[in-house]
Amino acid sequence: MEPLQPLQQFLPQVWFCILGLFLFLYVLLDGFDLGVGILSLTASSEERRSILMTSLGNVWDANETWLILMGGSLFGAFPLAYATILNALYLPAVVMVVGLIFRAVSFEFRENADNKLVWNVLFGVGSFLAALGQGFSLGSVFEGIQVDAAGHFSGGIWDWLTWRSTLVALTLVQGYVLIGSTYLILKTSGELQKTHYRTATIATWTTLIGALFITVSTPFLSDQARAQLFTTPLIYIFGLIPVLGLLLVGLLLRSLKRQEEVTPLIYTFLIFCLSFIGLGFVIFPNIIPPSVTIYEAAAAPSSLVFMLTFIGFLIPVVLSYNIYNYVVFRGKIVDDTHGAS
Amino acid sequence: MLNLLSDTVALSRLQFALTAIFHMLWPVLTTGMAIYLVIIEGLWLKTQDLDYYRHARFWSKLYVLNFGIGVASGLPMAFQFGLNWAPFSESVGDFFGTVLGFEGTMAFMLEASFLGIMLFGWDRVPPWVHWISTILVAFGANLSTFWILSANSWLQTPAGGEFVNGKFVVQDYFQAIANPFMVKSFLHMFFATLETSLFVIGGISAWYIINQRHTAFFARSLKVVLALAIAIAPLQIFIGHLSAEQVYHYQPAKLAAMEAQWDTVPAGQPADWSLVALPNDRAERNTWEVKIPGALSYLLELKPKLDQPIQGLKAWEPKNRPHMVGLIYYSFRIMVAIGLFLAALMFITTIQWLRGQLSAATIGQQKWLMGAWIFAAPLGYIAVETGWIVRCVGRQPWIVYGELRTLESASNLPAGEVLFSLVGLTSMYSVFFVMALYFGSRIVRKGPNLELPAPRTSSQTAMGLEPAQHGPDQRPAEAQQ
Repeated sequence: MEPLQPLQQFLPQVWFCILGLFLFLYVLLDGFDLGVGILSLTASSEERRSILMTSLGNVWDANETWLILMGGSLFGAFPLAYATILNALYLPAVVMVVGLIFRAVSFEFRENADNKLVWNVLFGVGSFLAALGQGFSLGSVFEGIQVDAAGHFSGGIWDWLTWRSTLVALTLVQGYVLIGSTYLILKTSGELQKTHYRTATIATWTTLIGALFITVSTPFLSDQARAQLFTTPLIYIFGLIPVLGLLLVGLLLRSLKRQEEVTPLIYTFLIFCLSFIGLGFVIFPNIIPPSVTIYEAAAAPSSLVFMLTFIGFLIPVVLSYNIYNYVVFRGKIVDDTHGAS
Repeated sequence: MLNLLSDTVALSRLQFALTAIFHMLWPVLTTGMAIYLVIIEGLWLKTQDLDYYRHARFWSKLYVLNFGIGVASGLPMAFQFGLNWAPFSESVGDFFGTVLGFEGTMAFMLEASFLGIMLFGWDRVPPWVHWISTILVAFGANLSTFWILSANSWLQTPAGGEFVNGKFVVQDYFQAIANPFMVKSFLHMFFATLETSLFVIGGISAWYIINQRHTAFFARSLKVVLALAIAIAPLQIFIGHLSAEQVYHYQPAKLAAMEAQWDTVPAGQPADWSLVALPNDRAERNTWEVKIPGALSYLLELKPKLDQPIQGLKAWEPKNRPHMVGLIYYSFRIMVAIGLFLAALMFITTIQWLRGQLSAATIGQQKWLMGAWIFAAPLGYIAVETGWIVRCVGRQPWIVYGELRTLESASNLPAGEVLFSLVGLTSMYSVFFVMALYFGSRIVRKGPNLELPAPRTSSQTAMGLEPAQHGPDQRPAEAQQ
């Protein structure tokens, strides 16, 4: 292969980061959304469930839209990756889409229904399926997708189902429950808040166990990851991530014990951020692990520049009005069904 | 039938068609209705008449129901290109994917983010901020229409680059975005969403009027709808006509299918317009048909005799021309008939308005007219769907017209896998379609809340600094009563 020009190297890297950002924001924001959805299955009364749903009412559309942004930008920036990955992950992607449809539709129908039971269950189950589909997708991309010389998918339809992708899927579900719980700690009060201190604590431990398994097994099972990670200077970063991660988990557990309101969510955000950076280091410079790099899968440089011009400068704008949305709806959700809201 | 079940390409096409047809139903209403909501909220701010505010609150209940299903059913659309059409995605991703990325970042995110404020922010932001949010929702929705139509028009009339070894290399992005079909196709769809939602709002208003519920209240929305329809219904026919002319120039095979024209009509001759026909693809002729002599040359060129020939379907080899001619032919006629019917309904209602028959006191007696409006409510949807069938089935056998074949663009998936998702999505969609109709009609039967007070922020000049508390199920307040 001829050496890459600086621009041919730089542009795909920039887009790798932008897509990473979109995916990260999606996982963070729709993560608490899906987590609250899964937790709603355990809500003990209709009033509590209503509070849970209200905490999502104004944000779920926008949160889910990060996924559309991710899909569209991946399609434009790395057409080969968009095509091959989705082709390989047909079943988990369909499960995810079906779950997200269940969720969205039952969210709207529930508002208008007298008998809310069906829609409550469908909302929770949809959230769970979506999280599971995403977990399997993430897990199997992480593990590697079998491709031919042209980078096209050449594996079987059940390739995505392995014990490691199952582990990633279950861990992601736990992570979503954790972030959902800490979001609810922020948005609720009283008994309901206490419940979520408990669920958050449990979810912290279950997520931690899954994350430990994944972290430890990655360098042992994947030659590529080992080659990638155990070279200086990456070894220091890779060594640092678990240490920082454990520290943050400790801080999270302490804040939950002290019943702090804002810090649990912040620590959870940071833990997700750290996992993402770790994941990025393992995958980079590939976009279809284990063999297709971002340079091979990237669209033409002109295409990347064109997209960067328009999408790049819009990212701060998009972020600001998303933040504005959260600012407008800040504060606790209180049970004032009888008030004139 | 058995062939179909084991044919991945056919199943993938069927799945794309079904998901697109189902998805279309919801954004068609919300993009158009968003503009209506901007107008009605603006009228409230200008006149301070609370009934306009109550209108905004009432219609946004239907809006949110549709929006939710629209978002949900749009997800398969966003991923389907990769899932089922991987070779296509790889081949044209440099341009097509870029445009979809733009749609998400510029348009869809804007709409989804400000939707929260538009629906639940009445008591949290000052009225003018709320109005701006509504405007941004409407702007985002219609910007989505623009990008999607730009992308689809590019499939019809690819421009701005060339195919090198089966991969589209872009040379000029702006030229690709502003491809020959883009402007008129966008305008046609823009007016289609607006017209569809206007007649839905008009039809529901007519239903209340005929049932003598809140007659004065809904006479008002009917008149707002009518005032807009006076401009839009005729304009839409005109743009539709321009679009057909474009097809005549750029996609002659599609035009031949739309007209079930098997034999070429040479230049310098009059062309007949077929009114009813029974096209037979295998025999390459119409089994029988009724024609209006000379009408097609008037329709296309406003002349008794053609300047340019109309090529018949037989001018192409069967593998290079669209099939399912009957579907294209009748879909086109249904769309046109609906466009004409809606314009006629607008015209008659306007005359009644000018005669003073639509005042709150007299409108209740217009039983036939109101009945016609109720009948017209679903017609816009049918026109949009049939129009898209003409557009996309008529483009076949090409996925990118003249460049890339549909047959070569499908992912190499086992047929059973596609069948699984097809059956799953179809059964899910059928249930949700019925449920959406049920819940929509519930909202309508329940009716508006005419006692709804003005939002708390409307008398305040500045936004409160205290974080306001919001209660559970903070949907429009009347939903809780």
